[in-house]
Amino acid sequence: MTEPRLADELHKMKTEYEPLLPIESKLIWYTFGTGVVLLALLVVISRAFM
Amino acid sequence: MPTLLEAPPESAPPAPHIAPAQPAPGISEDWLALCIGLFVFVLSLGLLFGKDILGWAVTASVWTNPAKALAPASKSYSSLPPLASLAATYVFMLVVLSVGAKLLHADLKRFASGFTVVFALSYLCWFLGSWAYIAATPDKRQALKIPWSLNLTNESGFIIALLAGLVVGNFLPGVSRFLKEAIRPELYIKTAIVILGGFLGIAALEQRALATSVMFRGACAIIEAYLIYWPIVYFVSRRYFGFSREWAAPLASGISICGVSAAIATGSAIKARPVVPIMVSSLVVIFAVVELLFLPFVAQHFLYQQPLVAGAWMGLAVKTDGAAVASGAITDSLIRAKALATSGVAYQAGWIMGVSTTVKVFIDIFIGVWAFILAWVWAAKIEPRGGEKVRARQIWQRFPKFILGYVVTFLLVLAIGAAAPRLVPKIKASMGQANVFRAIFFVMTFFAIGVLSNFRKLWQEGIAKLAAVYVLCLFGYIIWVGLLISWLFFHGVLPPLVKG
Repeated sequence: MTEPRLADELHKMKTEYEPLLPIESKLIWYTFGTGVVLLALLVVISRAFM
Repeated sequence: MPTLLEAPPESAPPAPHIAPAQPAPGISEDWLALCIGLFVFVLSLGLLFGKDILGWAVTASVWTNPAKALAPASKSYSSLPPLASLAATYVFMLVVLSVGAKLLHADLKRFASGFTVVFALSYLCWFLGSWAYIAATPDKRQALKIPWSLNLTNESGFIIALLAGLVVGNFLPGVSRFLKEAIRPELYIKTAIVILGGFLGIAALEQRALATSVMFRGACAIIEAYLIYWPIVYFVSRRYFGFSREWAAPLASGISICGVSAAIATGSAIKARPVVPIMVSSLVVIFAVVELLFLPFVAQHFLYQQPLVAGAWMGLAVKTDGAAVASGAITDSLIRAKALATSGVAYQAGWIMGVSTTVKVFIDIFIGVWAFILAWVWAAKIEPRGGEKVRARQIWQRFPKFILGYVVTFLLVLAIGAAAPRLVPKIKASMGQANVFRAIFFVMTFFAIGVLSNFRKLWQEGIAKLAAVYVLCLFGYIIWVGLLISWLFFHGVLPPLVKG
């Protein structure tokens, strides 16, 4: 890949945008939500037992 | 380790279920690091049987008189002249690493000549970093008869090596090309981490409850890296910067998880073009260098009263193995020096670095699992291709093998010390000798990272947009959330104090 083409590709992305698919939104928000819940649980466990 | 914008490393496994790629030539750097690290570790254990196999290795103490800076590691070799000790150390490492280079199918002649320069420059930096006016802590100034010092400890040699590497990488392209075959920061740091396992095993032996607590809290870091960092970075990349899925996924992994390895594993999982994770990896290395240069000092200034928070923060915020562990090592020295200077508190060495390493290692372990999950999501839901299956064996393919070495050295030291407490002093001496080589691998890592970080070349490739996402996500989200999580888990947990 030559220098100009890669830079052009990155530059064009905003105008040739791939909208978020429903599955991507699910991946993002379910992952984040699971992470926050698990983190809260682990903080409680670490404070209670460690 | 790829130079910037070259093909993925040989250790990167093939994309799932595509017609088998050509097998990687020779051994991978991961397996090689494991072998070399274990080799040094096993040799050091000779002391348990009364054989001082590595005592000739050179150490550098804090010095005012350069003629007295170097000495063999063991008193058994005290008659060995310092320069002979240095030469022996160089020859040993050259032979061992040349065997490794042969197994990697590297150009042996170029490796040997490049390694000679890398070793010489790196050790010179380590030597300079041990100069008393740079390294001495306040409690040592009187004995050294100096009125002042920068209080940076001799691990300032790491920073000097990094700066030297940056000069070579950015202003001396001919030298960079000459050294290329020996510029392998991933190999050096992974070898160092394998050896480090034994060193941390000693710390764990003496403070088992604290070590268990650190392990548990380190495991929690996995939650943050994968489930809290990744989705937000992916969302920002896609929604606000308009990156395609092909770019956003490796970028999210590179920024959130583990830089180079995660970007390449993710790129492979979603079948991105090789240039995508390579560009991301290049960016990761650049920013890891930037973090390495200032985060430890920020941690020292604000967190010297919460040292393990600082250690965890380095593991969570710095995104390559080399830079994260190296940041932990520098933070360890800086915070111990400041705590001693301001409040007379002398923390034991290694705990802060141990927390950084533990956090980073736990994050590394699950790269394969995450790549598998993404491969499944992409193959099943986002870009399904008829007849293709994602296989679980790729979890093992992507597992960073050097971590096995770290676990082995850690558990072996723990097991021997627990089973035979009378051997603990000898194990400590053994790990002290192995640690000499760990420090040398560390300083070579810093130098090599610097050489690889060619800021100008990357800018010419048009990575401004990638860099913008990186800056926003790293400095606007990851660093601060990482600090919060570190605080939640490690606040109030202090390293043990030096005895006596």
